[in-house]
Amino acid sequence: MVEELFTGENQIVSIVLIAIGLLVFMSIAIVLFFYFSRKRIIQSELEKANLEIDHQKSILQSIIITQEEERQRIAQDMHDAISSKLNVVSLNANILTEDDITQEETNKVAGSILKITNTVLESSRKIAHDLLPPTLQKFGLKAALEELCEEISETKKYQTIYVLDYEEGFLEKNHELHVFRILQELVNNTIKHANATEIKLMVKTEENNLSLLYQDNGKGFNIESAKKARGLGMSGIENRVVILNGTLNIESKLGSGIKINITIDK
Amino acid sequence: MELIKNIAGYVLILFCVINAILYLSKIKYNNKTFKYFAIYLGLIAAIQLSVTFIGRVLHMQNLFLFHFYFILQFIFLSFFYKTLLKKTWILKILIVGLLILTYQYIETPSIFFVYNAFGVAMTQGILVVYALIYFYNFIKGDTEFLLVNIGLFFYLLSSILIFASGNLIFDLKEVFKFGYRLLMDLNDVLYFGLQILIFVEWLKNYSQVKIK
Repeated sequence: MVEELFTGENQIVSIVLIAIGLLVFMSIAIVLFFYFSRKRIIQSELEKANLEIDHQKSILQSIIITQEEERQRIAQDMHDAISSKLNVVSLNANILTEDDITQEETNKVAGSILKITNTVLESSRKIAHDLLPPTLQKFGLKAALEELCEEISETKKYQTIYVLDYEEGFLEKNHELHVFRILQELVNNTIKHANATEIKLMVKTEENNLSLLYQDNGKGFNIESAKKARGLGMSGIENRVVILNGTLNIESKLGSGIKINITIDK
Repeated sequence: MELIKNIAGYVLILFCVINAILYLSKIKYNNKTFKYFAIYLGLIAAIQLSVTFIGRVLHMQNLFLFHFYFILQFIFLSFFYKTLLKKTWILKILIVGLLILTYQYIETPSIFFVYNAFGVAMTQGILVVYALIYFYNFIKGDTEFLLVNIGLFFYLLSSILIFASGNLIFDLKEVFKFGYRLLMDLNDVLYFGLQILIFVEWLKNYSQVKIK
């Protein structure tokens, strides 16, 4: 039967059969090729997605940590500045309700209550101000930054140099808040950790981008170890720069202050 | 042996008809792509039945039905791929292809009584290209009608040669009936494979009405 296939005019048929066999083989090869390509692509996409998820998880984690720290700070502030003082007010008010109290004592206690209430009022105003500066809401980023710089100058501990060339409306309102928070965090870092005497802030609006330069002459830090430690609120700053679609460049060495450059595209 | 082959032939036609009925029964629940494919199956089943009826019952020449087979296949699978691949240029190719075929039949009407090797090779070749494009899309994620597409790709590609060599072997058939039979059996086997894939596709994805 096989011999019959390869002799005489049946050769044509056998050639056709071989060709068909080849075509079937090729078809299988093509289908398998596409099948395995797809498998590999899906595999690599999965890996990419996992990396992305890990990254988002770490961001989420740092957000939660920051949030907790902030809550703790607010709780501490309220406890120190408001609750404890109101306790004193309450005690004093208790004295006033007693029957055998002289006029002179009444006046003294009332004066003390008045004094403490005023400080509590001032403290609560300050806490609220720290949480969300009203200047930013009412007068915009430039005014808020000016206020921030003035506040630093008022402490007399730092020599403050600032040039604020910000075109109002260049960034969206919530992006302005991010910029403000970044600079606030940088100033806080300098005050808390740097032992600096000079702070320099330049804001410049260009045609297509906004550039921020922040500099202090404090003790500086090692960038690599700071990245690992994720302290100093650096991850918060990094995340905000990512949200702003900007680039962040940090230059610092131990003993020679820091220089931070942020460029935000419009 | 001959009896088994005859029975197998009838089973294949029955399978073809069952598939057509299965797809046509779900036609109102599914999209345009599905509708074109169901109509294609229905028409092919009708042609298969006519071929069998004319050849085996009336004992008349039934080769002319083959022209309807491949032209209808070209038209409906073009529409099928047009909706599956979402490419409108497929319609233009369909029109050009049909014009070429029309010219061919007007120019040489005698072709009606033999295998139209050129017509089959052209139309099935074009459909194979669509199937390849679909495989490319499959990498990106499309999986609708994947099994049917694999089946069509196999069957169309390999049967191009079977049909293209049809005339040659048709002429030889009196002397070398064996080779001719072998080719036709091979065609039946491949066609059976296609029908199985079409059936599995229906079973997997269309046997139950999807709740959207």
